[in-house]
Amino acid sequence: MGGNGDNNDGKAFQNGGQSVINCQSSGMSGNPFFASAWDPVVSMSQHENFGGSSMVSHSEFTNSPYPVVMENQGNSTTSHLVHYPSDSSYAELMPKFPSYGSGSFSEMVCSFGLTECSQVANTGCHLNYSSNKEANVERTITNCVESQEDRQLTEEPIIGATPDGKRRKRVAESNSPFDPNKNAEGERQKDPSGHSSEVQKEQDEKKPRTEQNTAANLRGKQAAKQAKDNSHSGEAPNENYIHVRREKISERMRLLQELVPGCNKITGKAVMLDEIINYVQSLQQQVEFLSMKLATVNPELSHDIERILSKDAALDHDLQSLFQMGFDSSSAIDSLGANGRLKPEL
Amino acid sequence: MTSIYQINSATRIRFARRFLISLSRMRRASTLGPPSDEEIRTRTRRIRIVSYSSMAFAVGSSRAWSRALVLKIRNRARFRGILRNKCLASKKKRVIKRHKVSREMSKTDMLRRLVPGGAGMGICGLLEETAHYMTCLATQVKVMQSIADHYSK
Repeated sequence: MGGNGDNNDGKAFQNGGQSVINCQSSGMSGNPFFASAWDPVVSMSQHENFGGSSMVSHSEFTNSPYPVVMENQGNSTTSHLVHYPSDSSYAELMPKFPSYGSGSFSEMVCSFGLTECSQVANTGCHLNYSSNKEANVERTITNCVESQEDRQLTEEPIIGATPDGKRRKRVAESNSPFDPNKNAEGERQKDPSGHSSEVQKEQDEKKPRTEQNTAANLRGKQAAKQAKDNSHSGEAPNENYIHVRREKISERMRLLQELVPGCNKITGKAVMLDEIINYVQSLQQQVEFLSMKLATVNPELSHDIERILSKDAALDHDLQSLFQMGFDSSSAIDSLGANGRLKPEL
Repeated sequence: MTSIYQINSATRIRFARRFLISLSRMRRASTLGPPSDEEIRTRTRRIRIVSYSSMAFAVGSSRAWSRALVLKIRNRARFRGILRNKCLASKKKRVIKRHKVSREMSKTDMLRRLVPGGAGMGICGLLEETAHYMTCLATQVKVMQSIADHYSK
């Protein structure tokens, strides 16, 4: 039947989106191909930058993360593992290993509870596409060993990449206290691109939080801590304002996550934005497709619709029944047809 | 907070009604006999515009995107896109200058393009408008789907 076939076509967008999303969540090695399927121009260029540097970086650090991870694992709970991949660059190494065939690191991680790591790693990996990662990894490995991380780092990826002018100003001020980081930041700031510099600034802001965690409470104490840390810059009120904004943004991202189907497991702003964009595009394509279908359908006025439109009293009820049936299943339309179409029951 | 993003059934019904009325008006004006490809294309475009405008009017002026959409459609109808092109062109230039080097467009810029009226908002407002716009689009699709199914029976 034409209706059923068209139902399938109409749902093909959603199914396609679902399958793509499943591909992404199931394995990181599929990620570059997934990204390119949706948006070839942007994603392929990202992937090229990504792959080029990571090849170099991962071979260097194949050995170094292992003792670090083991050491900490002996001392602390697995909750700390949540914080390692929250560092974007560190997490970036993780997905690369399976795809490049070195399974040893993933085996290591398996013994430490892979699911947590991989989930957060997915987020971190997706977040960052800029090329200079070596310095980040070093710094964050030492940080992970030293500091007692708190839960707030899980929020980092979500709060991360916002092209906000105020964040750039803050980053410029927070650059000075981190002398060992200067070389890395100098490297990173050479990167001329606008967006990747935003992403780098997101990483810059992650560093102060990584190194100076004192609080376990995510929101309230994070605001206070940031005020304390940056008190030397004398901009505590601005920090609070930025945090309020970030909370708002992350709250809205969470709501959007609920709205977009199949995005329950994604944590990370960049991935979420990708999904949102894809979903909106697919919805608009569906509208286009349906309008074409409505244009080609026999242009005969069905009398029931006329009748419905003319009788206001029956309109709401019948329209509701029509749409509810449409929402529930296509088989309901058959029963609708069997009843002699939408007869107003009044 | 989530209630903002849930479309009332009233909105849905307003949209459906407006859409059906416009559809029936369009049907009446169409020529008899098998429609040519060109006709189908024109009608497709018109139906699409009608669906978006019905949704925008059903939502009303409470959201920024619906206001922007209504204005856009009115301007397009009256001035054949002169104003729209002027505004969009100037904004596009600004955007491209900023992100010229490695990426043509960041994700937020793409989102701004997708959501009507998104160019003039901050990230915060953009996300909120996106959520509402997404739910409205979803209801629009569902309503159109059920109407199309009903017609094709």
